[in-house]
Amino acid sequence: MAGTLRLYLTCIRNTLEAAMCLQNFPCQEVERHNKPEVELKTSSELILNPILICRNEAEKCLIETSINSLRISLKVRQADELENILTKKFLRFLSMRAEAFQVLRRKPVPGYDISFLITNYHCEDMQKSKLIDFIVQFMEDIDKEISELKMSVNTRGRLVAAEFLKQFI
Amino acid sequence: MACFDRASPALKETLLKLHCAKKPMEIDQRIYEFGAVEYHVQSSVSEPYLTHLSISTPLLSEEFSSSNGLSYDAIQMIKEIRADALEIVEPAKDGYQLTIRLNLSKIPPGKESIKVITEISTVQAKLLSCQLKEMLRNVNSQEQLQGMYRPIKLVYHHREPFFVIRQPRKITAVFPMRFKEDPDVIIATAFFQELMDVGSSEEWAKAPPCTWSPIPPAELRGEPLEDLSTNCGFVSFDITSHHVKGKRLDRTVWSLLNFHAFVKYHVKCTRGFIQRRMRKRLDSLVKILHSEGPDEEREHEEEPKGCGCMSSFASTSRAKNLKRRCRNLFVRKSNRIRSPVKVRGGMRFRHRWLKIQKFSSPRRYTKLD
Repeated sequence: MAGTLRLYLTCIRNTLEAAMCLQNFPCQEVERHNKPEVELKTSSELILNPILICRNEAEKCLIETSINSLRISLKVRQADELENILTKKFLRFLSMRAEAFQVLRRKPVPGYDISFLITNYHCEDMQKSKLIDFIVQFMEDIDKEISELKMSVNTRGRLVAAEFLKQFI
Repeated sequence: MACFDRASPALKETLLKLHCAKKPMEIDQRIYEFGAVEYHVQSSVSEPYLTHLSISTPLLSEEFSSSNGLSYDAIQMIKEIRADALEIVEPAKDGYQLTIRLNLSKIPPGKESIKVITEISTVQAKLLSCQLKEMLRNVNSQEQLQGMYRPIKLVYHHREPFFVIRQPRKITAVFPMRFKEDPDVIIATAFFQELMDVGSSEEWAKAPPCTWSPIPPAELRGEPLEDLSTNCGFVSFDITSHHVKGKRLDRTVWSLLNFHAFVKYHVKCTRGFIQRRMRKRLDSLVKILHSEGPDEEREHEEEPKGCGCMSSFASTSRAKNLKRRCRNLFVRKSNRIRSPVKVRGGMRFRHRWLKIQKFSSPRRYTKLD
């Protein structure tokens, strides 16, 4: 399990290193505007082929690149209903506070749980390697956090159940 | 926690205020509580030490209510609180099940008064518990002979009824569970799974066996659909004679009456816990993003200690300030051209290692050896 995760993350890292070659490119349609082309998708010559990396049916990563921006969308593993609601709550919580992360998108791309939008300005302000490290670390941390949350909720439930049953003894 | 305390906090506060008042007070107060419970407290200046307390509470089950009013057990239970200070008024006030005349002068001052008044404030909870206690104690011989164990619907909280089914050697309490939101349903379902796991372990063999099922149990067939439509299944407890012996009867009854409230409180606390945990994790994730690398940390350590800003305050001449600003602007622009990739915190690095050399020689060049 850990082995497939490592391979999955390594593949994403290598793809991001190749895809994160962004440069400033003003909008071709509107004068004096500068927009992330991956979001607009108006000019096909500015968009590269999207790459979909799947660990399994439930976990996948979509990397869409353009000349001046890059969008990374993640689908996180959700084994049961409890993990499902914990993942939804947690990722929605983070998305609502996207300004703290700068590269996080407020709304995930449809069909995915969370999305990042990296533009050429982010690449100028931050180191490319650090950005990639952050995204990979983020994916690992999310998985770990969801598992820990689930375990904590079940542990709490067990303790509360024991307290309730004590009343009858 | 107010919902599990037997004593009504508002009633307790009112009675304590009356008891501790230096002058006789005129009070005509109605207190409404969750579950359609109503208290009416009346005290007049003409009868300073007498207070009338009327209680209206919905009955657990209409079938088991006594036609003559309160049951014998309930009356005995009320008298046991403080026989000299409490007197049941017959008949009760209109619209109320019970009216009590309290003689507050008979209650000794100090800690004892708090204890007695707390006991008086638990009268409503005791009335309801009495009804369920009678059900758990009494054996209905007719039903036993017929062999049909009809479920009895009890309503403690409005819109949250539960059922009690008498069976040979045990009584089954069935709780249909409903929640408004989907996350609550999932958290509660996880809790019920844990409750079943814990209850089935050897350590908890004396606890009543607990089962959870998404569909109504067979004993509830024939009940109205509105009572059986749930989104979180049915929880059943099998209460045996062991659980209703002596003092355990009171605890068992109170736990069963408050099971819905207990589960809802647990779900609410779990949601709060998840929220706190997410906030904590957000802080740590943001720290990772904004954390400096090891190179930049070393630069910060090598910074000369002391006021680096003092040099800018030292020179006050306008021309000197202008020259300095122009030089900084030029340096910044040239650095931007040279290094398009900006490194956070690298400004000091550039100033130290990439600054333009000053030409101090009068001939305006540096002689190379």
